[in-house]
Amino acid sequence: MRFFDLLSLISSNLSRRKGRVVLTAIGVVIGTAAVIILVSLANGLQKSATSQLWGISDLKMIQVSPNYGGGEGGPGIVGGKGGGGGGSNQQLLTPQTLKELAALPGVEAVIPRDYLYSYAQMRFGKLETYPQLVGIEAANLDVFEYPLQGGSTELQRGTAVVGSWVARSFYDPSLRPGQDPPPPPDLLGQTVRLEIVKWSNDGQEIRKKISLRIVGVLQETRGEADGMVFVSMGELTQWNEWVNNKRINRSKDGYTNVVVKATDPNNVIELANQINEMGFQAYTPQSYVQNINSFFIVLQIVFGGVGAIALLVAAIGIANTMTMAILERTREIGLMKAIGASNRDVLSIFLGEAAGIGFLGGLGGVLIGWVTAQLLNIVAANYLAAQAAQSGGPPTTIALSTPVWLMLFGLIFATLIGLLSGLYPALRAATLMPVTALKYE
Amino acid sequence: MNSASPLIVIRQLRKTFVLGRSTVHALAGVDLDIPVGSFTVLMGPSGSGKSTLLYLIGGLDRLTSGSIHVNGQALETMDENALALYRRRTVGFIFQSFNLVSSMTALENIAFPMRFSGQNGAARRKRAMELLRQIGLEKRSHHRPTELSGGQQQRVAIARALVNDPPLILADEPTGNLDTSSGYAIMQLLSELHRSGRTVVVVTHDPRMTRFATHTLYLLDGHIVSEAEYEAASKFEIPSEVSPA
Repeated sequence: MRFFDLLSLISSNLSRRKGRVVLTAIGVVIGTAAVIILVSLANGLQKSATSQLWGISDLKMIQVSPNYGGGEGGPGIVGGKGGGGGGSNQQLLTPQTLKELAALPGVEAVIPRDYLYSYAQMRFGKLETYPQLVGIEAANLDVFEYPLQGGSTELQRGTAVVGSWVARSFYDPSLRPGQDPPPPPDLLGQTVRLEIVKWSNDGQEIRKKISLRIVGVLQETRGEADGMVFVSMGELTQWNEWVNNKRINRSKDGYTNVVVKATDPNNVIELANQINEMGFQAYTPQSYVQNINSFFIVLQIVFGGVGAIALLVAAIGIANTMTMAILERTREIGLMKAIGASNRDVLSIFLGEAAGIGFLGGLGGVLIGWVTAQLLNIVAANYLAAQAAQSGGPPTTIALSTPVWLMLFGLIFATLIGLLSGLYPALRAATLMPVTALKYE
Repeated sequence: MNSASPLIVIRQLRKTFVLGRSTVHALAGVDLDIPVGSFTVLMGPSGSGKSTLLYLIGGLDRLTSGSIHVNGQALETMDENALALYRRRTVGFIFQSFNLVSSMTALENIAFPMRFSGQNGAARRKRAMELLRQIGLEKRSHHRPTELSGGQQQRVAIARALVNDPPLILADEPTGNLDTSSGYAIMQLLSELHRSGRTVVVVTHDPRMTRFATHTLYLLDGHIVSEAEYEAASKFEIPSEVSPA
């Protein structure tokens, strides 16, 4: 039997039982639409989560910490053999080891970083804040590829570059309850006062006052840089020596933190594993993104599974409809065989009809699923924009995302479900003895 | 029946049905030759096994034992695919209840078997129209079976049986559902098919059919019998039942 003849026979057979086909297909429509909407939701949530987590520059960075031979680090540590080994496998980030890191293939730069070993208060006019001070051993912050909002990224003595949220973190300590907070100051080009705090052996608080000129403000990266105040490493080391009352010898003490910048974001995970192999503790935002992605894949499977249950119920409906159709058309099957139809012809016709119901239902389901996803996006966009405006956070642009592959998958899956549910009835029809079918009342 | 070479050779044909605990021998050892180009009428009362014999010759049922050779092919050795091919190429079947597909027009019904032989739409329509003209129903080509009389429906069914140009026509009570005049017209049509060179085998109760036959066979209780035996059995009176005391 020719393929197009088969298709035309199937479509004419389906169209002569329109009511029943539509009722059966509604089950498939609901199932497919459920799969599309739920997987779109999981997909949308994933997109929304990963897009807000990290700036693209972060994806090239690996943060490396020394291994003091103690316990394992927090989440996001990739592999690593450190931890639990006492002091035997201590690995410090000395200038010598930094050279080894820089020699690894795929490494663009190795940038030591350090934090203030105490705390500091930053004042600007009446306003104050407690910033996170970070010293960078580089003449320019541009190695991190942070987008600049204004000024420059050059790090010199007496100057600082601040993240986008630093200005927002300033508050007025004299503010009384009920009073409106002052707007965030424009720090670019301004001089702020910094007071570093330490305690003497007898518990006396000692403050070191420093003036810092803000030469650059970064754009929002939605990463760690947003809350940081970057200064030159030389200056920060001086402050830390003042806090600790002793000189810092990098060859002996090492650095507390080093950022390894990879040439290609695709190599980052592999590079992090290599660094772990060397005995350090490497952490990369990518591993975090990977964990998030695997979580959302599980979520997609679970959501898809819920929708698939609806499709399973629809499949039983198709099997029932096809079984009834075969009972009603038993004599017709007998006739087809009497006039020369082979078992394969009969099987193809009935399987095709079942698959046709699945396909029609799938088509309807994909269409309804897509339209519903778009409508929900409109509703969610309005709601989320209002929420974001209230909380001051970044607005979420997307709630449900329906990729083309999902729609194609929905259509093919629904057709396959139809095909599978028609298998048993069609096999029964195909293997009927012609004489038995012809005499069926 | 040895005037011409046989198209159908049947030897020791048995067909047994198991109905619950009882076994029914529908055909109990039939030996039969049907010559090429003959018009054979199979007569017999209900339950004599004549329809069973026809279905077995048509490859619509499987025999219990014995053999059926049609055109030199042994049907009992054929698998399902070979039997389908045999039914498509060698046999044209005509049923008592017409068995037309109600959703199809007369033209589509006639062309239906050609779909399974893989012929294209244009060829199918051409052949079906040709047959519709032959049976005098060209003006009814787009009518559905419910819009046709019984006689017209049977003519459409005969045209469908002829569409693949088979050498053997098998008809099971073709006049059984028709009035006298429509039945007679169908008999004439079958006779024309015979005259055009086809081998026709008709199962019937209707004694008028024997007028067109070149060979008449009588079946009784699964056996081929002579006309005299058949007549005797037809005249045999059933003794009145003994009423309970």
